[in-house]
Amino acid sequence: MSKKKDKAWFVLFTVPLLFVFTTVVIIPFIIGIVYSFVSWDGIPANPKVFVGFDNYVKLIHDDRFLASSWHTIKFTVLSLIAVNLFGLLLSLLVTSKLRVSNTARTLFFMPNLIGGLILGYIWQFIFTDAFKLIGQKTGLENIFFNWLLDPQFALYAMVIVFTWQMAGYTMIIYIAGLQGIPDDMIEAAKVDGANMWHRLTKIIFPLLMPSFTICLFLTLSGAFKMFDVNLSLTKGGPNNATEMFAMNIFNEIFGYGHYGLGQAKAIVFFLIVAILTLTQVAITKRKEVQM
Amino acid sequence: MIKVKKGIGLLTVTALIAAMVGCGSSNDGNSSPSASSGSGSSPSASNSSPAAPEKQKKITIFQSKVEIAESLEALTKKYTEETGNEVEVWGSAGDAYGTQLQAKLTANQGPNIFSVGTGSEAEKLKSYLYDLSNEPYVSNIAPNVALKLDGKVVGVPYGVEGFGLVYNKKLVDPKNVTDLASFTATLEKLKADGKNGLSLSQEAYFLIGHIINMPFALQPDPKVFIEKLNKGEVKLADTKEFQEFAKFMDAIKANSGNPMEVKYDSQMGDFATGKTAMVHQGNWSYGMLKDYGDLGFDVGMMPFPLAGNTKLSIGVASNWVINGKSDADEIKASSAFLNWLLTSDAGKNAIVNEFKFIPAMTNIEADSLDPLSKDVFEATKSGQTVSWAFNDFPPGIIVNDLAPATQEFFLKKDMTGQQFLQKLDAVWAKATK
Amino acid sequence: MKRSSKLIFEILLAAIALAFLSPVYIMVVNSFKNRAELYENALALPSSLSFQYYSKAMDKMNYLTAFGNSLFVTIVSVAIVVILASMTGWMLVRTDNKLSKIIFLTLVSTMLIPFQTLMMPLMQVMDWIRSNLHIPMLNTHGGLIYMNIGFHASMAVFLYHGFIKSVPIALEEAATLDGCTKFGVFWRIVFPMLTTITITIAILDVIAMWNDYLLPSLTLSDKGLRTIPLSTFYFFGEFTIVWNLAMAGLTLTIIPVVIFYFFAQKYIIKGIAAGAVK
Repeated sequence: MSKKKDKAWFVLFTVPLLFVFTTVVIIPFIIGIVYSFVSWDGIPANPKVFVGFDNYVKLIHDDRFLASSWHTIKFTVLSLIAVNLFGLLLSLLVTSKLRVSNTARTLFFMPNLIGGLILGYIWQFIFTDAFKLIGQKTGLENIFFNWLLDPQFALYAMVIVFTWQMAGYTMIIYIAGLQGIPDDMIEAAKVDGANMWHRLTKIIFPLLMPSFTICLFLTLSGAFKMFDVNLSLTKGGPNNATEMFAMNIFNEIFGYGHYGLGQAKAIVFFLIVAILTLTQVAITKRKEVQM
Repeated sequence: MIKVKKGIGLLTVTALIAAMVGCGSSNDGNSSPSASSGSGSSPSASNSSPAAPEKQKKITIFQSKVEIAESLEALTKKYTEETGNEVEVWGSAGDAYGTQLQAKLTANQGPNIFSVGTGSEAEKLKSYLYDLSNEPYVSNIAPNVALKLDGKVVGVPYGVEGFGLVYNKKLVDPKNVTDLASFTATLEKLKADGKNGLSLSQEAYFLIGHIINMPFALQPDPKVFIEKLNKGEVKLADTKEFQEFAKFMDAIKANSGNPMEVKYDSQMGDFATGKTAMVHQGNWSYGMLKDYGDLGFDVGMMPFPLAGNTKLSIGVASNWVINGKSDADEIKASSAFLNWLLTSDAGKNAIVNEFKFIPAMTNIEADSLDPLSKDVFEATKSGQTVSWAFNDFPPGIIVNDLAPATQEFFLKKDMTGQQFLQKLDAVWAKATK
Repeated sequence: MKRSSKLIFEILLAAIALAFLSPVYIMVVNSFKNRAELYENALALPSSLSFQYYSKAMDKMNYLTAFGNSLFVTIVSVAIVVILASMTGWMLVRTDNKLSKIIFLTLVSTMLIPFQTLMMPLMQVMDWIRSNLHIPMLNTHGGLIYMNIGFHASMAVFLYHGFIKSVPIALEEAATLDGCTKFGVFWRIVFPMLTTITITIAILDVIAMWNDYLLPSLTLSDKGLRTIPLSTFYFFGEFTIVWNLAMAGLTLTIIPVVIFYFFAQKYIIKGIAAGAVK
């Protein structure tokens, strides 16, 4: 009896959301999988031809796709570290009882709000004009030159912009985590003579594990899917050195009109990333402390 | 209980997917009445037609040129005042138009009138383009600029546009820019005077797309040449006009600023303030120069002197088309609007003075053109024009392949023009295989 | 904390904040310049502080209508996401079986799918719903809200899932013994304890939905329905951007969110303070 009831409650609580989610995300995704076996230019009235695994074979030989995947991995690893270090640092700074905390919190949050083409323009200005100016003034022309023209540094430039955007985002989540740690626990540790480093590593970080899981995953998924910054800052250049995965797919689908091939790329990449990240989530989840 | 639910859920999902994927192509044939904006399908519009014979169904327009969006909205308001017929103008930002159009067509919510680029873009959307051959206004289209597919006229040009070397009349005399030798000498002289001779800019079309048009356009039949190139039967590196083009690119690389450091905004800013003597641009760039007020010098447009060429590259970027998948009433109403746009005084006036187009219609006077448009218009009248061969390039190739190769050319100090050609051959082959 | 070290922290914080803000500075100063002035020096302060570009941008964007549209879509979407995701998240945590795990992993892994690959099939599904079930999903605010919910569901569930563990299960059991239904337990006991994370999710979703361009651009066509980001399209030309209007438009877009955040974050702190007293 009660088991049946539990099931009814389960359905009542989860089905409304899952229904919407299924129609908006799952079904389109499955349709996308079907299209990955089709040769089609994406225009509804034009013919679709079933080609089996052709698209999958093609993508293995697509150097540019492989290169873009590699850029994406590099970009993701660097961003993952930078975003979370900054986000955590910011959240620790703004939750310590400093005079400027409240204002700082709002300021750090603002980069999140500037998006699209304007973001690209502003940062292009910083990396081209402002950097050159600084280089000339300080004589450090090895560091301050036009980063967007160098294949290596253009990628770093994207990491910087992405970090600038996302650090405030993860900060918000880390703040939520930090606020969940009872003050008396930290006070008690202080009384016991634990120094700041000990308080951080022995109390705060373990209790912050859920936030770590969430932030790492969000940064990871954000970095893998990153498109806006790529399009507005470098458009994949110079010479394709910063073409990321999402942009490669976008170009394949809407630039060349290879709909099926684009979908096939998306699915292969999704599978690889999903396996990697779910492992990561599983690992960090295990380290979370139940209260 | 749960199992049954799961089963039903699974069935629904499968049915949905089957419907979506399976019917995709057959759908268009039999569901044409619903193939348009849904909300507007009320019977009242068609029923009221006997009472007021002029009353047409409400239509929608979706078009790519953001610059004219406001004027077009104002114009449609005027149309409604004059005729009582309603027109809704949709908007899209920057280069998002193509994607959004595709999305709207996919959702069977296509606009009634929309715009397509000449060449491969029109080809791709062929099955949506309504045959305009019998519409009255089509006879006014200037020779050779109508959008034709399979012998049928399917689109009316927005207007003609042209590009070449836009120059500062105080700094450059066109007599000194007539072939490779004089072109190079002019660049060198300007460099010695502390001026930038010629500026390209980093946007794909302004970096390579437009300038590479000339060697293609100078081929006996550019379209055939591009087809051969796609099949790998010819090579750019072995073609005379391209070899000369490579030398021009060498001269630009050696004597002027790196275009990778320049954006369209700064390119025109440098030109407007006299730091750059020439830019490879089109008549549209005058809109930007205008923002700088009195320049203190006159501007003009001259041919890019590849192989002694004396012609401007002139073509049609966008065309008005009618969505053939709309229902019959909407097609009728759409054609009525195009007719009004292209023949009424208000419409003709808007095309020239509001949209700032160089008219491609014989019934529209071009009286108040800016200096660059005037040069383009004069060239059109005297036949001193070459076509826009790049409209027939494989889709996406300029942005995705040619531009990266050109970036490499300008960023690698030791890369020569000839190596650049080989690189272009390589990326072309890859993009079309 | 010692006084001197506190001062160092304050300075450090201020320095980072300034560095973070430099792009915002560029955005604001250039919303006051004309094209020639912008070309001259994008970093300099504007020569005059006239709000002409702001009033022009507001006028072109039809700001009040667009603001109303954005407000409606965002508030309704966020409210429904919070309600449905908190319920789902809680159920998935408290029901420890295979099905919950599969649902959770499915939700989470879909967060890795680039939107660009979903958008065309999504349009087909919405068209299917429109033509077969006669529910207008496209070119309506309701349809956009529905899709917003679908796309933001997984992140919200993921966040709730992570934080619900800090809610002591003993309280729930006690309430059940007192005769509360699951519904009662959740809304009376659990949900109030999730205030911090609820506000966090609300903030993150408000930013995402308020600023979203792509999804609304695919679903909303009519002028009267446009959200704020959609109505800035006039300023973004094919090759160039009308910078002053675009920057003014962007500033006008983000001001409401900054104000919202400013108040919401105070509420987080308060909520916590109240919770800590218990």
